Parts: sequence; structure tokens; C-alpha cells
Amino acid sequence: MARLLENLSKELVKESGVSVPRFAVAKNKEEAEQLFTEFDGEVVLKALVPVGKRGKAGAVKFAATAQEAGEQVSELLGMTVRNYPVEEVLVEEKIDIARELYLSITIDKVVKQPVIIACTEGGIDIEEINQKYPEKVLAYHVDPIRGLESYQAKEIWSGLGVKGKELQMLTGVTSRLYKVFDKFDAYLLEINPLVITESGNVMAAAVVMAVDDSALYRHPSLSGRVQMGTERAWRPLTELEKQMVAVNESEPYRGTARYTEMDGGDIGFMCGGGGGSLLLFDALVNAGGSPANYSEFGGNPSAEKVYGLTKGILSKPGVRGLFVAQNITNNTQVDLVALGVTRALREMNIDPQKFPVVVREAGVNETEAREIFAKAGVEYYGDEITMTQAARRMVEKMKKTYADY
Amino acid sequence: MAILIDRNSKILIQGITGREASMVTKHTLDYGSPVIAGVTPGKGGTDVHGVPVYDTVKEAMNNHEINTAVVYVPPAFVYDAVVEALDNNIKFVFIATENVPQKDVIKFLYLAKQKGARVVGPNSVGIISPGERVKVGAIGGDNVERCFISGHVGVISRSGGMTAETSWMVKRAGYGISTSVSIGGDPLIGSPPVDLLKLFEADPDTHAVVTFSEPGTTFEEDMADFVKAGGFTKPLISFVAGQFTENLPEGTVFGHAGAIISGGAGKPSQKVKRLKEAGMLVADEFDDIITLLQKALS
Repeated sequence: MARLLENLSKELVKESGVSVPRFAVAKNKEEAEQLFTEFDGEVVLKALVPVGKRGKAGAVKFAATAQEAGEQVSELLGMTVRNYPVEEVLVEEKIDIARELYLSITIDKVVKQPVIIACTEGGIDIEEINQKYPEKVLAYHVDPIRGLESYQAKEIWSGLGVKGKELQMLTGVTSRLYKVFDKFDAYLLEINPLVITESGNVMAAAVVMAVDDSALYRHPSLSGRVQMGTERAWRPLTELEKQMVAVNESEPYRGTARYTEMDGGDIGFMCGGGGGSLLLFDALVNAGGSPANYSEFGGNPSAEKVYGLTKGILSKPGVRGLFVAQNITNNTQVDLVALGVTRALREMNIDPQKFPVVVREAGVNETEAREIFAKAGVEYYGDEITMTQAARRMVEKMKKTYADY
Repeated sequence: MAILIDRNSKILIQGITGREASMVTKHTLDYGSPVIAGVTPGKGGTDVHGVPVYDTVKEAMNNHEINTAVVYVPPAFVYDAVVEALDNNIKFVFIATENVPQKDVIKFLYLAKQKGARVVGPNSVGIISPGERVKVGAIGGDNVERCFISGHVGVISRSGGMTAETSWMVKRAGYGISTSVSIGGDPLIGSPPVDLLKLFEADPDTHAVVTFSEPGTTFEEDMADFVKAGGFTKPLISFVAGQFTENLPEGTVFGHAGAIISGGAGKPSQKVKRLKEAGMLVADEFDDIITLLQKALS
């Protein structure tokens, strides 16, 4: 999943023919003041960060004068919203709202179809809408092959009691928004609120959009403009994480190597398998250990990639042990894992006799792996022990090595 | 007997000439699986380890009897490959490819449903029925017997690696496998666990099922409801990994793209609670699977 910042999502919505408030991006106080003058009226100021619920986080402000706009932007630029530092602010004309509605298009993973959720109330979270106005919410599943027919868009709002000119306008807007959702391989397109203005127009006042990163190859126009990998971290990537992304991307077709830094911890976690890593992390914690990071490698990575990941894991300050483990592999060559890990240890002058290292690597080319680890003096296990036993052994070794453990 | 694949499977491999597909074809043949034909556009008339290659599925079907399609094409071509198999009336499609666009998955799953076909994957490492000596996908690699020996326990796991490790635990416990299924790590897959429990329930050769679960989705909650409603009556043992992710901010993926806790849903602790309430055997530690299985089958 890749989130779009609101200026980009509004641009895409606007291109489809749906009205949005006038908007522009300000990077500093002066730009904000300038924009206020251009817009010639009250403005809304929103922190441009790839997270939702900005209003609740105090990251949406209003200004009635140019000076106020400048001050508010200065304040926003000093903020960190849900771990994301604010570097830009969206400046928008304040629109005259007669009514607020809600519309979202997403993928229903249970039904396995796109679903449109519409409500004749809006401006508050969908969770709150569901609680307060369940009778005013309608969910409509869309045939993924045919797409959304115009009459179906009409049925949605008609089903919610909308009539007259509003029904016609909302039908058109909903059809266009579904096309945007479909065209850009979106996961989520949420308009909250969808506004009926005092002058009787429909306007997408706030737009949240996320697209499928697996489909980005079809959308060169979005290249470099989306927030990649926003679902794999709860904050911007750390320097070390960025380095590990580079390691992973250096050989895009030879396995994967992912790295997530944890707060604190002292065991370098060099583990693999999408499910295996989850199990091993739990097992270390349950045994009393404290992993310094999460990692996940698999899909038969090269020795070079394993080396890069191991080096990154060991370079985090405070790491004083290394746990290398995986499930029994179907296709990952464990001799390449052995080459990569031992090279990193060697280059970083880490003596596995003094620095606790435990390895559990069974699977393809295990005999060679055993030899490589043995030569490097590393404590190695194949399938003579389970993953859980290996995690326990790691913590035991930490306790033996460090009196304070 | 087994589920999904057995001695009557007649396998077609789409994208057979690719590097990985070619290696997997060799392992699959070595294991004894009936790989009948392959398809790679532009490579018709050649062969891969003795398996004839055709340009189209239609051509392959004209020359052979085929009932199982195995998709090994790159992500951008998966939609077309699956639809080609479905339109040629193949009723079982297995997809190994990872990173298939969600929109494509939704579309071909919708078509498969209309055509009454079953899909496993995408992003699955494979399916294996050791008693029948049939497998599809990379599962087991070139040393199948290490983890997968013939027996009466079914295994379900999103993770391919943990399909192998869990099957190995079954072997350690003194039992073997009827069928092990890696269902795929993506958020949208063709056959969630409940669909497979239905098949395992009907298979007289399966006496118990072990599942390896992860955060995210409602797979475990659905299994609990299914068991409660009497849909599955054999011993069912589960282990739920990823408890640590509950202490981290919501909405973060760990491991598979499908492994995400959001809106308070998909938490391992909730899954464990629901499974226990349904009377299922939940392993607190992964190694407990051995004793739970021994108790259940003694």
C-alpha cells in the first residue's frame, strides 16, 4: 500500500471532474501569507503528512488574515503528527458548507469485491458515523469486471433518501470517483466530508487516497509521488532502515530482506520467513530476550544481500548478540545465508566466541552451510532443534555472556 | 485420498520456461507428480525437462487432458494467465506469483467464482499430498521427505516456510501429512482456511488438521465460527504467531502483506480467544503442537 499526500489525491480527483476547494502547498510562512492574499478569503491549513485523523491531532487550522495564516503555518511546520514531522502545509480556500456527507471506496477483503460506503452524514470518523447513524449508512458492492454503472451510483444515494438535483449531482460525482479508484489501482479513496455547498454544488472537501504498490508499474505518472511502504512502519524510516531498503533494492529479483528498527533491545534479529520471523520474535521475547529489530529475509536472497542485512542489524548501537534463524527452507539456499552472515561478522571483527551468536538454518544446501558456520566458529543448528528451542538457546547464551542479563 | 491434488491431477504449468518454473518443474517431476504440459507464448514446440511446451492453453488442452493449472508467470501477466485457464474450463488454478496487483486478483477471483473454479494463491509456495506423491509449487524443494511424509494430518498456513516447518513438526510428533497447503501471504487469496476445512472434513484420510496463523484477516475467527457451527468435527490444532505486533502501533504490516492489525481487528490474542472458545486446541508455544497432536490422535 502506498499513501498519497492530500495535494496529489486532490489533484487526481480534480482531474476526474469532481470539484475540490482551491488549494496550494506552502513550505514556509511567507508562502502561506502570499497564498492567503491570492485566495482572497478565509483559509484552511492542513499538515501534509501521510497519516489520517489529522484534525484530532491538531494538525488542521483556520486563518482569517494573512498574518494569522503565516503564524498557523509556522506552528504546523514545527509539529510532528503521529511521528511524521510536518514539512509542508496544504493551504485551501474555506468553503461554505450547507451539508456534510461521507463517501468511501475500498476493497472488501471478505467479499473480495470493491465496496462503496456512503452516508448522508459526514465530517466525523466512519467509526463514529457507524455508531451514531447506522440507518444513514449504505454499503454497495461493485462488480469488479463491469465496474460501477451510472444507475448503480444513483441507487446508492436514492437508497439513502437523496432526491432532486442533489441526487443527480451525487450520481455523477460517485461515478467519477469510482473511475479514479479503478484507474489508479486504489486501495482506498475516502471523501470525508463530501460537501454540499451553500451555492448547491458538490465538493470533495477532504480526500484520503492509497494505492496498491504492486500496481505502480502501470502508473508512471505516480512514480516518485507516492509514500511507498507506509504500511510497513508506524513512523518515517530511520537512517538504518533507509540503508536496508537500499540493500534490498540493490538486487530486486534476488530474494527479499526487510528490516524494522525496534526501540531498545540488544539481540540482533537476523531471521527469515514471513511467518517464521513472527514466530521467532515471539519466541525470543517469551524466553526473556529483547530483539533490537525485526527482520525478514526469504525468497532465496544472494549472499551479498544477506551480508548487507546482517551488517545493518549488527551496526545498531546496543546490539550485543546475533540470532540467525529460519523455518526449514523450501527454496532459500542456506549456504548463501552462511556466507553472508559470516562475512559480516568477519568484516566487523566480531568474535563469535565472545559475542553470542546462535544459528538455526535448515534446508537447501545445509551441509555446506554447516561447514561454513563451523569454520567461522559459530554455534550452528540444523533441524536437530526446533525454532523455539533455538530462541531459548539464544537467550541462554546472552545470560551466560552478560552478567546483567 | 487427499485434498486439492492427487494421482488424478493432470498438471499444466503456465510460464514453464522461466528460471524458477523450470527448476520447480524438475523437482515436481522428480517427486512423481503428473506434469502433462506447459505454456509459454512464443516457446511452443520446445520442451522443459521432457514436458511439451505450447503457445496457448487451448493448444495444450487439444493435445492433452488437463485439470490443474499452475501459474508461474510474472505479476503483470498473472491476470491473463488465470483467465486463460478459466476460459479453457480448468477448474483448479494454483498461483505461485507474488506481488500480483489487487485489482487483478479481485477480477479473476470473481470470474473463478462464476465459473465454479477453485483458486489457491496468489503468493503460495505450494500444495503437497505425500501419499499421492503429488505436489505443485516449490514446496519441499529437492528434499521433500525431510518435512513431508505420508500420513493423515492436514496442514494449512499462509507462510510457505511455516507450511514446511509445521509439516516437519507433524513428522516429529510421529505422524504424516494427507495434504499441506500454503494458502498464500497476500490480503486477497482464493482459498481461505474455512474453504480447506470443508475439504479436509470430507476427506476420510485426514484425521486432524494443524494451522499456522498470523495477525490480520478474519481467517481464524471464521474458522472458530465454522467449528462452532459443526462444519468441522475432527481435531483442529492452531498456533497463532506475531503476538508482539499487538504492542506496536496499529496499521503496520509485519511479514506478509495480509498480516496487519487495523481498526482493532486481526489481533493474535483475539484469535486465540475465539479459537479456544470454539473448543479448538491452541498451542501456546509452537512446540506444543507435538503434544497436542499426540493427545488428539492417541
